[in-house]
Amino acid sequence: MSQPATTVRRPPVWGRAAGFVERAPWIDAFIMLVIAGLVFGIAGLAREWTGVLRPTVEIDLSPAALPAYTFYSLARGLVAFLLSLGFTLGYGYWAAKDRRASRVLIPLLDVLQSIPVLGFMPGLVLALVALFPRSNIGLELASIALIFTGQVWNMTFSFYHSVRSVPADLAEAATMFRFSRWERLRRVELPFATIGLIWNSMMSMAGGWFFLMISEAFVLGDKDFRLPGLGSYMTVAVARGDVGAMIWAIAAMAAMIIVLDQMLWRPIVVWAQKFRVDESGQAAEMRSWFLDLLVRSHLVAWARARRRPHARRRPAPPRRPRPSSHARAARVSTLVFAGLIAVLGLGAWKLVRLLEPTTISDWLDLIGAGTATLARVLIATVIGTLWTVPVGLAIGLSPRLSRIVQPVVQVVASFPAPMLFPALIALMHVSGIPLGWGSIMLMLVGTQWYILFNVIAGATAIPADLREVSSVFRMRRWERVRALYLPAVFPYLVTGWITAAGGAWNASIVAEHVSFRGATWSTYGLGAAVSSAAADARFARLAASLVVMAVIVVVFNRVVWRRLHELAEHRYTLMR
Amino acid sequence: MTEALCEVRHVAQQFPQPRGPALRVLEDVSLAIHPGEVVALLGPSGCGKSTLLRILAGLATPTAGDVRYHDQPLRGINPGVGFVFQSFALFPWMTVLENLEAALRPLGAPAAELRARALRVISMVGLTGFEEAYPRELSGGMKQRVGIARALSLDPEMLFMDEPFGQVDALTAEGLRAQVLDIWSEAETNPSSIVMVSHDIQEVVNMADRIVVFGTKPGHIRTIVENTLPRPRDDRSSGFARLVDKIHDIITGSEMPDTPARPGPSFEPLPSASASDIVNLVEYLAARGGRDDVFQIASDTDREFGELIAVVNAAELLELVDTPHRMVVLAPLGRRFAEADEPERKALWRRQLLRLGLFRRVAEAIARQPSRRVDADLVLETIIMALPQERYEQTFETFVNWARYGDLFAYDETARTIAAQ
Repeated sequence: MSQPATTVRRPPVWGRAAGFVERAPWIDAFIMLVIAGLVFGIAGLAREWTGVLRPTVEIDLSPAALPAYTFYSLARGLVAFLLSLGFTLGYGYWAAKDRRASRVLIPLLDVLQSIPVLGFMPGLVLALVALFPRSNIGLELASIALIFTGQVWNMTFSFYHSVRSVPADLAEAATMFRFSRWERLRRVELPFATIGLIWNSMMSMAGGWFFLMISEAFVLGDKDFRLPGLGSYMTVAVARGDVGAMIWAIAAMAAMIIVLDQMLWRPIVVWAQKFRVDESGQAAEMRSWFLDLLVRSHLVAWARARRRPHARRRPAPPRRPRPSSHARAARVSTLVFAGLIAVLGLGAWKLVRLLEPTTISDWLDLIGAGTATLARVLIATVIGTLWTVPVGLAIGLSPRLSRIVQPVVQVVASFPAPMLFPALIALMHVSGIPLGWGSIMLMLVGTQWYILFNVIAGATAIPADLREVSSVFRMRRWERVRALYLPAVFPYLVTGWITAAGGAWNASIVAEHVSFRGATWSTYGLGAAVSSAAADARFARLAASLVVMAVIVVVFNRVVWRRLHELAEHRYTLMR
Repeated sequence: MTEALCEVRHVAQQFPQPRGPALRVLEDVSLAIHPGEVVALLGPSGCGKSTLLRILAGLATPTAGDVRYHDQPLRGINPGVGFVFQSFALFPWMTVLENLEAALRPLGAPAAELRARALRVISMVGLTGFEEAYPRELSGGMKQRVGIARALSLDPEMLFMDEPFGQVDALTAEGLRAQVLDIWSEAETNPSSIVMVSHDIQEVVNMADRIVVFGTKPGHIRTIVENTLPRPRDDRSSGFARLVDKIHDIITGSEMPDTPARPGPSFEPLPSASASDIVNLVEYLAARGGRDDVFQIASDTDREFGELIAVVNAAELLELVDTPHRMVVLAPLGRRFAEADEPERKALWRRQLLRLGLFRRVAEAIARQPSRRVDADLVLETIIMALPQERYEQTFETFVNWARYGDLFAYDETARTIAAQ
């Protein structure tokens, strides 16, 4: 403190130790190789996207074709993610800042979240293909938009909640120092929202992959659309019953998820640690080998040295207080809001017209189907809970085990379960399990990981002193579970249930209506109703089933999950 | 007198409550801040002193009255103010230097000048060497140095501090106070004046030229005490002690009246103090010959005087103590209470509670119900109707706490019902 600082180093972005690390040339070679590969890949992508419209591309099932297909799918997923991010920032910010608009925007988000991808498909595909009748780009955009609908909603919720819950003192400081709207967003609200947004982004990417097979290969009535990609590859492999190709596709998907996790998400999560607000110690130091490598690269150091002073050099114009800026923002918001209401009104009117032919008995039938699917969702959740709670506790209570298993579960959870369905369906076929029950198993494959993941997280968060108490008083195992483990894990369990049930509803459209070796199996349920209506292009029935699904999901969320969540927050939180 | 830097005239502030009438936080407050002075706003928590500071800074808009800066109506944030927050309010994702630059950037100066100004204030408050530390790496005292540096970086005419030393230990606070006064006493440079909120009487007498003493319910200026003690001030001088004493008298005169509210037919406001604090006060007095000075107790027990006065008033309402002048004296009932065993204490406590209007009313309501229970909402409504000036949530909390200690009523939080024991 006594030494005067003569020079001040620029604050490093990647962490404080960056300046002292030895540089390694082979990393630079690797980075250049990756960049060259990307340039080549993007050129190919551009060719593919701007090519002449080919609704049904011939899929090559040889493993040699897989890297290119995987790259196409990855590109679609990333473009969709960028769209999701843009949508999230715009929509979430608007909802957080305009109280009146949020009264419509947030319930709307709730409804949109409850509609599975097939609900958006006909409209998006028909509109985008009609918009670009001669080019592949319309179809590509449709596919990206479908992936987008699987990604975006929880990111938007997370960002909205973060902006709304910026700590009062930080908000006041920003006001006091006359931050403009933009500065407030950039220096306060975005940093505060970053960590939540990143965790939700990881989940969102997984959500986007879930329907990859549908997003790349879809049937609309007599029209069959297929784009080159991993999802189409799998679809064709399943249709032809080519087991070898299916295994290759699963391996490629797994490889892609692991690469994304290690080279994109993990470094970002580690970097984002600087946005932590709570100061309670160094909560489990996070590391990423890939980030460490990047830090040791000459190229990255050079790029950063060039970028940062440039970004700083531009002086902001002197700011005058602008009393009109607030009024202008309010006017813009009102205008956009009016537009939104008009669009929603038009949409509602169209929907009513579309639903007109639906008779009372149709509705009753759909409600019955919805009840059947709800029952399956709940049974899947219960079964998922029964095995994951003991296993999750065992893993979470052992620091060594949880350090190894937790990242693995995270990766497994983001693997799109529908790619494993063919194998399970074959198994059901052989053992004679009817699809009515079998679909529960299919749902479970996709969703149980969310529960497991949360139970592990909850178990690791049990404070040491409470665990010591249970040892000091020599509680028996069952007594410990009842008095400590279950209550402590409960809030996490609720989060897991909500995610898992949402996933199960989503999965129902592929679990209750399956095609295998050319044959189609269907069982009584709302998911099957949605799928068959979409496949036959019966839009009235599709709309009606989606309305029933949205109503059941939203009502169940409000009545059951939200109450459980409040109970968990109120009674069982360990945060206070 | 010189022209005021900023002032409020007949300012009032109210906050709407979900139920019942709006809560009056400030009423008819007028105060001017002049160049070159240190003004302290002193009072127990909830007296509106922080609200007044925020109104002067332009962070809050009063429901009535004028706010003026250099004799012009104030619109938006007060341009002459640098603000220091009790909770530091540093952006955790920025280094010390970045925190300062973020505050300076809205001025629109070139980057090199921003850097130079930031570095200047960093050395001014003794943070040299910590430029690249993140707030979470700093101790509370160092964090508040950053908070002070950030406020000073704007070269403000006035430095506003909201309980700036409340979250640091006593030794650190001492150092920070001296440093702030050093910076202020450079007569030719800003800040010209300091306005600080505090509940620490010693601190206020040490720092301020004028001490604005607040009264509660609703918050108002009770009196303004001029402090002409020469600087630097010696905490052990007789003049210092006399001034501290004078302020003690002012506060007890208003907050601890010699003729207190006694249980009667009407509703008495419940001072917000927990039963265990009241019992602990009785034990404390019993162990010290049955009497002590209220400020002595506050400093011995490391409590904010406002909090302690609430405990004393609560004990007095229950007839456990008397408060002649500044002294707290164990009453005969208090002495019996101190000597009694647990069951007898509870019985005494119950009897005293039932002499209070609110408890009696609820007991009668419960007796009328065949189920021997009433809705919590009924009690809340009763509080809102009878005591519109109180924060009803707080009163309700105190009610439940006292009733539980005396084993008088049980409160079921989930069902929101109050039942007889």
